[in-house]
Amino acid sequence: MDTATRRPDAVAIEVSGLNKRFGSIQAVADLDFTVAPGRITGFLGPNGAGKTTTLRILLGLVKATSGTATIGGHRYEDLDRPLHRVGALLESTSFHPARRARDHLRMCAIAASIEVSRADEVLDLVGLRDAARRRVGGYSLGMRQRLGLATALLGDPSVLILDEPANGLDPQGIAWLREFLRYLAGEGRTVLVSSHLLAEMSQTVDDVVIIADGRARASGPLASLTSQVRAAMRVRTPEADRLLGVMAAAHWTSRRLAHDLVLVESVTPDQLGPVLARSQIVVYELVNQSTDLESVFLSLTANEPPVVRPVATAPGQPGVSSP
Amino acid sequence: MIRGIRSELFKLRTSPGPWVVAGATLLFTALGIVVVFLVRRGDGQGVQFIAPTSVYRLRRLIGAGFAVGGVWMAAIAGVLCVTGEYRHKVMTTSLLVEPRRWRLLTAKASASLIWGIGLAIVSLLLVGAMGIPLLNSQGGSVSALLDQAGAVLPGFFAAFALLALFGAGLGTLIKNQIAAVVTILAITFIVEPVFDGILPHVGRWLPFAASAAVAGGLAPTDARMYLLSWWLAAIVLTAWGLVPILIGYFVTFKKDVT
Repeated sequence: MDTATRRPDAVAIEVSGLNKRFGSIQAVADLDFTVAPGRITGFLGPNGAGKTTTLRILLGLVKATSGTATIGGHRYEDLDRPLHRVGALLESTSFHPARRARDHLRMCAIAASIEVSRADEVLDLVGLRDAARRRVGGYSLGMRQRLGLATALLGDPSVLILDEPANGLDPQGIAWLREFLRYLAGEGRTVLVSSHLLAEMSQTVDDVVIIADGRARASGPLASLTSQVRAAMRVRTPEADRLLGVMAAAHWTSRRLAHDLVLVESVTPDQLGPVLARSQIVVYELVNQSTDLESVFLSLTANEPPVVRPVATAPGQPGVSSP
Repeated sequence: MIRGIRSELFKLRTSPGPWVVAGATLLFTALGIVVVFLVRRGDGQGVQFIAPTSVYRLRRLIGAGFAVGGVWMAAIAGVLCVTGEYRHKVMTTSLLVEPRRWRLLTAKASASLIWGIGLAIVSLLLVGAMGIPLLNSQGGSVSALLDQAGAVLPGFFAAFALLALFGAGLGTLIKNQIAAVVTILAITFIVEPVFDGILPHVGRWLPFAASAAVAGGLAPTDARMYLLSWWLAAIVLTAWGLVPILIGYFVTFKKDVT
């Protein structure tokens, strides 16, 4: 993505000290992150983490309790002709079921001073040309997602904010979306995508922001995050106490996850296997905890202490933090 | 603002609800035309079908859409214009296109008003298509009918437009489409008739009575003595539209869209 062509109108998304409270529930708490132009940033978190609330605040649909969420330094509601600057996909149900897809887009185009012929262009772009005259009520979930993307692209915006765009897409659709997002970011657009499909995101995004309980747990380039997760082995054994002693004697960090489950950090199967054999410890299960996005996500969003260590953050560079 | 109004009118044009309302307006207009032509015979032998001759009946033929309460369809169209957004969750899309909520609401209110005038035109077209041939066939005077048009039409159009605005206001206040439509029906068939019967001096300030006063030439002579003057009624009916819009803007329209 470093070779991406910068659009002259490309801008960053900045979220700073963002808080949102719904009654007694703190949906977003002191959230800070930045999304750079020309890159795809994954916005990850478990259900109820505050992703959608954050995106809705960013888009002026929900009012923040405190803090700011801006696009190119401006609140969404202050943007002149917002559809020309920001394209958003929030939910696949935001269509009148009796309205034809083309009419939905024309309706938006008229309100945003966009040529109505653009509706056909974007329908073509998302592969819905043949279904343009069909009523949206007859669309599959995947088709609605594509129509949502077409709506987001109507004003040829430099910023795209997409909430779970892969929802309802079949494997071909997901592959298409991946390429499509790459193509859009390659044009220099700022792309922020929330998703719970971690395997898919790991193939698509350049940067990630991980939140849980409304708070940012980590942010930064994906490669940087995954490289900071130490290799670890999970051992299921009826002799957990003895294993912990052996690990301590070998100067390896280990901790009990359950009465019969121990996590041994910074070791590979090649290193741990012989030690277990020599110590004659009965093993029911030996799992190599891989260093992929899922591991990072789980370690950062689980209630247990994370295996990711805090790292120093260079000025102006997003870094990794532990909860 | 103009593009916002155009978009709102396009929304109305491309969804079925407002067309169902237009169909209902035509139905009420047709019924109104028939009612104007039906006259009770003096010999107690029932009713017969004869051309209207009195000024009042000729005016009532022009305003046939008003005559049997079809004008309330304009209020329902106004309700649909606002509540359709919530019912089908299209509000998110609308606010992404126009995040300044007061502008979106103004566009909706304006589109409702225009749609109301459109319903009045549709109703008049049916009067032309159905009423005039009927008048000719019964030996009535079309020129006498047209002579009354100037006196009736401004109030007729204003009543449709302002009741549509009232509907938009009610829809802003009550987001649930069914609840808002039921409220309209309750005002029409329960609240206003009760006030008309018991407290006509209070009832004349209510929306339907105010619309009858705005369309003064269409109201029965015996009812006119209770009605407000047309200009005061126009102000009252405008207030019935704008006040709920203002309250609804702060109470519901500005709320978080989650």
